[in-house]
Amino acid sequence: MKTMKSVPPLITALFLASCVTGYTLVATGVNSIDTLQVDAGPGWNLAPTIAGSASRKNAQTWTQDGLLLNRLVFVPAVADGEALLNVKDGSAALPVFRKDMLPNEIEELAESTLLKTYGEGNAILNTSNLRPHNFGQHRGFMFDVEAKVTESPDYRGVAGAFIVDDKLYFMYFLAAHPHYYAKHRDAAEAIIKSATLATPAEKA
Amino acid sequence: MKLRRLTLLVAAALLASGATIAAEDEEVTHKIPPGYVPEEARDEQGLWLELKDAERSLNKSALLIRNNEVNAYINEIVCRVAGPYCNDLRVYVIRNPNFNAMMTATGMMQIWTGLIIRAGSTDEIAAVIGHEIAHYTRLHSLQRLRDIKKKMAAGVFFDIALIALAGVDAPVGQLTAQLSALAFNREQETEADLLGTKLLANASYDPHASYTVWENLIAEDEAAAAKREDPGMFGKTHPESKNRASYLKALVISRYGQPDQEKLADQKLLNVLNANYLMLMEDQLDTNRFGRTQDLLERHAEIGVDPSLVRYFYGEMFRQRGADGDRELAKAAYRHSIEGGNAPPGVYKNLGYLLLKDGDTAAARNNFRTYLELNPDASDRAMIEFYLEE
Repeated sequence: MKTMKSVPPLITALFLASCVTGYTLVATGVNSIDTLQVDAGPGWNLAPTIAGSASRKNAQTWTQDGLLLNRLVFVPAVADGEALLNVKDGSAALPVFRKDMLPNEIEELAESTLLKTYGEGNAILNTSNLRPHNFGQHRGFMFDVEAKVTESPDYRGVAGAFIVDDKLYFMYFLAAHPHYYAKHRDAAEAIIKSATLATPAEKA
Repeated sequence: MKLRRLTLLVAAALLASGATIAAEDEEVTHKIPPGYVPEEARDEQGLWLELKDAERSLNKSALLIRNNEVNAYINEIVCRVAGPYCNDLRVYVIRNPNFNAMMTATGMMQIWTGLIIRAGSTDEIAAVIGHEIAHYTRLHSLQRLRDIKKKMAAGVFFDIALIALAGVDAPVGQLTAQLSALAFNREQETEADLLGTKLLANASYDPHASYTVWENLIAEDEAAAAKREDPGMFGKTHPESKNRASYLKALVISRYGQPDQEKLADQKLLNVLNANYLMLMEDQLDTNRFGRTQDLLERHAEIGVDPSLVRYFYGEMFRQRGADGDRELAKAAYRHSIEGGNAPPGVYKNLGYLLLKDGDTAAARNNFRTYLELNPDASDRAMIEFYLEE
């Protein structure tokens, strides 16, 4: 009886502890996320995995003020046939990456995926301003994102992506509009634009 | 007594016993007069206060459709079906590609755009609206509130017993009570079906729409690739679509005879769909549910939505699905859309991208140029120009 009573508070305590202590400060300068490398500015915090349970194993989520206010997400090395999120339930109908996708199709893949993170039907998400961008030596592209969400502020952001060796590297920033978007957009975009892949020597 | 009568009614309907249905159905009538405002019951007044807050919030929703044409179309249907209750209702069209409609005790009605794209006719939209108005005039929300209170009280006793007997401190009883009260119960749904069908017919809409709307949903569900997908709130709170379609069909045929074989073009619905098709179907396409999208496109082609637009979205659906052979199907659909004479500029862009994949750079560039000519302010101009200059 005593053990039964102590289990729920223990779980709660562990959960709260993970929420409070799970965030770690991201070092300024070059950071590696799997084989992806980005140049981080100050003030970003790495969110614990528990905060984004649909995240892929090798993905990272950073935030300045909390995940509901702003998030910078890195999804490296998505292979052909894989989704941008780690959701096993087929009923979610998540779109998957195909290695022959062109920029417009990656943009659509991102739009449909991000929409589902808000809950299907709870948001309308639009992307625009698809434009080329070179990530280091890799040819890629960027686009803007705008989400209107039920009972929530609007979100705006920017995304970048490139494909190397048939794998997709995808990054996006989304923040509550107008304050948090305006506050962090330039810093977030600079980090996304800095993305490149580690050279074989760096990986070793 | 009422529950037993309705159970018998449903059973009778399933047996297609027309005379019995007609006699029993007469008894489901409005419980409140037009202009109703609660004056005595405190719980009802409290419910109204809370719902007024919710309505203020809904008024500010970014997902609210503010397009006059869409709102005028839906409001006209609502007023025609509601008759003397028209002034008691306020309608909000919500941009959501799932099928749903909702009504509160205060007369705040929500119609999701997913209902508009799934309707085979204005009569089918009227059928769903009639059903929701019946929930309102039968005070079903108030009944549900009182049911929640009773269940919550029982749940609290259960939770106290759980702590006392098993030492488990978890609000299982209260949570179960809350979950069980999320939906209208079977009796309320049946009442809304019966009264809604009567309202539909009284407003001179086709009463056969009361079951064809469900038959369409069943067909769409069967066409869905992801079978266990969430069908939307209307699906959750309105279970057993096949049973419902079946007894409503029996009821309507017994009372109004067989449906007309001749189908006339529903110009009002077509006007709304044609004018808003890009927005409505792009939202649907974003769900990534291609089986459902294909089913909708087939219906839209059948009822006469602008062929250029329908074919464009066939192209979009095939291109984004990306199964074997889909690229060829997409290109053919885009070309048919162009032949239709009213293709949106995006058709040239997306045909261009597919031709680029084929290695037909010259043809791709021709399409990209046409896209930019038709859409000089295209936000993706930089990307298109990159491919033109590459």
